[in-house]
Formats: sequence, structure tokens, C-alpha cells
Amino acid sequence: MIDVTASEWLKVRTVRSTWYLLLSVVGVLALGTLISYLMTAEWDRSTPDVQAAFASADPSVVVMPFAQFAFGVLGALVATSEYGNGMIRTVLVAAPRRLVLLVAKVVVVGVGALALGTAVSFAAYAIGKVVTGDRPAPISGDPFSEALPALFANGLAALVIALVGLGFGVLLRSTAGALVTLCVLMFVVPVVAVLLPAPWNNRVVSVTPLYLGPQFSGQLTGQLTPAQALAVMIAYLVVALGAGALVLVRRDA
Amino acid sequence: MIEVRELTKRYGAVRAVDGLSFEVKPGYVAGFLGPNGAGKSTTMRAVLGLDAPTSGEALVNGRRYAGIKRPMFEVGALLDANAVHGGRSAVNHLRCLARSNGIGLKRVVEVLEQVGLAGAAKRRVSALSLGMKQRLGVAAALLGDPGVLLFDEPVNGLDPEGIRWIRGLMRGLAAEGRTVLVSSHLMSEMALTADRIIVVGRGRLILESSMRDLADRFKRDVLVRTPDVAGLRSVLENAGASVSVDDGALVVRSLEAADIADLAARHGIAVHELTPRSATLEDAYLELTEDSVEFRTAEVAR
Ligand SMILES: Nc1ncnc2c1ncn2[C@@H]1O[C@H](COP(=O)(O)OP(=O)(O)OP(=O)(O)O)[C@@H](O)[C@H]1O
Ligand SMILES: [Mg+2]
Repeated sequence: MIDVTASEWLKVRTVRSTWYLLLSVVGVLALGTLISYLMTAEWDRSTPDVQAAFASADPSVVVMPFAQFAFGVLGALVATSEYGNGMIRTVLVAAPRRLVLLVAKVVVVGVGALALGTAVSFAAYAIGKVVTGDRPAPISGDPFSEALPALFANGLAALVIALVGLGFGVLLRSTAGALVTLCVLMFVVPVVAVLLPAPWNNRVVSVTPLYLGPQFSGQLTGQLTPAQALAVMIAYLVVALGAGALVLVRRDA
Repeated sequence: MIEVRELTKRYGAVRAVDGLSFEVKPGYVAGFLGPNGAGKSTTMRAVLGLDAPTSGEALVNGRRYAGIKRPMFEVGALLDANAVHGGRSAVNHLRCLARSNGIGLKRVVEVLEQVGLAGAAKRRVSALSLGMKQRLGVAAALLGDPGVLLFDEPVNGLDPEGIRWIRGLMRGLAAEGRTVLVSSHLMSEMALTADRIIVVGRGRLILESSMRDLADRFKRDVLVRTPDVAGLRSVLENAGASVSVDDGALVVRSLEAADIADLAARHGIAVHELTPRSATLEDAYLELTEDSVEFRTAEVAR
């Protein structure tokens, strides 16, 4: 188990796609910084009544959905990059216990996404604070002590999305299939759901992945309680990884 | 030790392997021969736990492969040299596989040298030629110094030097007391490498034999037609030939046509036909698999 996990860890580190994805997250962090800076500059030029109506210049709003999707892509690639070329057979000959292999992938993707997702979340918050300086709310985000639960929830959501991506990857065995499915779930469903009659519009939106972190931390209220949000997260993991595990064990490689 | 017992594997309507049974024991190279689509690769995938048998079983060292914890120390396999992630360097590819069995970098460097890829260790796998990938696959199979080895068409893409190298490697591995199963289409190749052969066609076993028995069976003989079958037979047998009767004619082994003619003349026995026959191993193989070739090329009219 430890050996297979170590091997998976080595595998993610030795493909370029991992580094490109992390680079893209850094790029979005830079973009978020720029947006935050421009907003703050605009705020400085505005009259007090306009200032009061400003949204927070916290780059998380831009950075986190993208970063979480990037971790989802990473999770999917950890599986699908081995299916397109037949590498999976070479891997399964070396590590034939399939559930062990899946658990190893889950550990690597999960730990990586949780750690890096949390780090990105903290970085985005810090950048926002540095850019807005000692300006008051709302242009400056919540004080650190109040923002802390949301920051950790962002990391947790990154973990859930990364593992859902992995589950889709194992299930569908195709990069395009897994990414399209993930994209639809994260970005298309919330947009389309808005067209549904109330209260179904909000109900559906509230269970899509990007909205679970803020509801879990209590930042977003009105639909799911934190406990319910956590339950939905767990349900995602059970369904995506459970279906993936079933297919991995049952189907010929 | 590899045991395949009544193995059947169906893909939808296709019976890729159909009630196949054979054994491979340590100490010799077993050649696995058959035309395209005969089920060789499928059998190997079943042995390695990649494809679940529809019925029957395939065992390595008496157990199912899928449950082995660190299989590299027991079994090494090269199935498809192209079944690799092209983005890693050769050395990283091997490190990833080795790590899953707790094998370190030192051994990775050793096998890279053993297969002649030390110079290309840092190159991306996608930039390697087919022959070099084949060597990389062999390197992966050797990582754990296993006692059982399976190679699916390992000479595919190798240059003459590489072919000679892999022949020597397989013979060497078998001589060390390992179990070696290697598939091929070419009887001529197996004649140089294998001690025993397993011939399959349409998923069924056609023949399992030692190379020597097969060579004996298809050795040159002489077909003799004579009105005095019994007379000539006893003459030839007294001269040390082994004689059998086939369709009213004598099939004579271990005597040359000229000697047979001389003997017959000396005893005043008429000979109506005297045809020396020979079959190369390749002929023997084609004859064996004739009925089971699925994907035959159309004969071009001349
Ligand atoms: N995954 C699969 N799905 C469907 N059919 C398959 C699959 N794998 C193999 N087959 C079929 O099973 C049969 C045996 O194929 P297999 O690859 O085992 O033959 P082979 O002896 O290795 O042939 P070759 O010498 O060409 O490599 C073929 O008819 C093939 O089309
Ligand atoms: Mg084959």
C-alpha cells in the first residue's frame, strides 16, 4: 500500500501536465491580483456612496473556482492519462490489486488537492489583504479570524472536486469525457438551474460543487446547513469513487 | 510455473480463447505460437490478471496473479511496448514502476544498463524508437529479478543485434531455472529460441511439444511406391530404416533415396515412385495452423 502510494506520488510528479496545471493556478492567482488591484484603484477614485456599494476585492472569487477545477482536471488525468495509451496495463501488472491502486491514487490526489487548495485559498486571501491595505470593508475582505473557516472550506472543496474528477476518470477512462462531465457539473448546471422554477433553482444550485464550500463554512446561507453541505460533499465522493471502484475492479483493463 | 486450465475468454461474440490448457515449467523457453488473432495476447493478459477469464483459470506459481502483493519479484512481463505514458523519461518510467514494488533507483539503473538503454535514460519515452521501447519493456520485466517471465512478441521492432540479444537473454533466463513464455508468429524464430512450443489457433490448443519431437516428426522422409510393399519394407527395416505405410506407399525415414533405390535393386524389387520429402519447421507450423488461420490474405491471381 505504501509502496503503491509512493509510486503514484512519483507518477504525478513526473508528468508535465501536473506542472502545467499548477502553473495555470499560479497564472490565475496573478490575474486575480491584477483584478483586485484594478478594483481597488477604481474604489480609490470613487465617491463614498459608490464605494459603499463595492464588492470585496478578494481575488478568491476569481481564483478559487478555477483552481478547484484545475484540481479536478488533475484528478481526472491521474486516471485517464493511463488509459489512452495502455499504460494502465503496465501499471496493473506491477500493482495488480486494483482497489489498492485506486486508494493510492485517492491518497495522492486528495492530499495534494487539500494541501494545495488550502494554500491557494490562503494565498488569494493574503493577496487581497495586501492589495487593499488598510481600506475598510466592503472593498477589503472579511478580517482574518472571520475568513478562516471559508479559507479551509475552499481547500476541502478542492479535495472533493479533485476526487470527483478522479472518480469520473476511472469511470469513463477518457480525458475528454471526464473533463466535460466535470465542467457540466461545476459550471453548466448552476447556470441552467437558474432557469428552473423556484425553489428548485436555488436547491439545484446549492448542491453543485462550487457552492458547497461556502455553505459548509457558513459564508453562504439560506439553502444547506454546514452539516448538509458536508453530507452532500461526502455523497459526491461515495458516488464518484464508488462507481469508479466498481468499474475498475469489474472491467477488463 | 505457469498453468492455464480450460481457459476461455469471450469478448461479446468472439471466443478469443477457447478451452485452452497448457503448462510452462521452469528451466526452458516455451514458445507460444499462433496466427494473428489466435488468442496469444489474450491468454497472457488472463495470466496477468488484466482480463478476467470467462471460465477456467490461469495461475502463476499456483496462484492467481491479481492477488500478488509485489508481483515484480515473482513475474516479469512485457505485453505491449507502446503501453507506456510517453511523457516521462525512460528512467522515470521505470522508477515509477519499480517504486510500486519497493524497488529503488539502483536497480533501475542496473536494468537500464542491462538492456542497453543507459544512454537514453533521460530521453522521453515518446521519443524512443519501437525497438528502444521494446528494450524498456524488457527492463521493466527484469526489475524484480523474477522467476517467471512472459514476453509478447518481444522481437517486434528490434534490429538484428537486438534480436540476437533477446534470444540470448531468454535462453539465459531459462538456463538459470526461470520459467519463460514467449509468443511469436515465426516458427523460424522459435526454432532458434524455444525448447518447447505451444501452438494455438482460434483460441484452441493445436500442439504442445518439445522442439526436438516436432523436428523429428516433420523430418525429411522418402515416399516409396512399390508393388511389393511387405518385401521392400522388411528389406528397408533390416537396413535400419524406420518405415510406415501410408495410403499404400512406404514412408521411409533415416535412409536416403539413393540407398533405398540401391537396396531395392539388389533385392530385385520394383520401385514405381521414389520421392524425397522434407518439411521445414515453418512448413510444419503452417501445416499445423492451416485450418485455424482466420485472417488469410487473398491469393493474388497471376
Ligand atoms: N479487448 C478486446 N475486445 C474485443 N475483442 C478482442 C479484445 N482483445 C482481443 N480480442 C479478439 O480476440 C481474438 C484474439 O486476440 P489476441 O490479441 O489474443 O490474438 P493474438 O494471438 O495475440 O494475435 P496477434 O498475433 O495478432 O497478436 C481476436 O479475434 C481479437 O479480435
Ligand atoms: Mg498479440
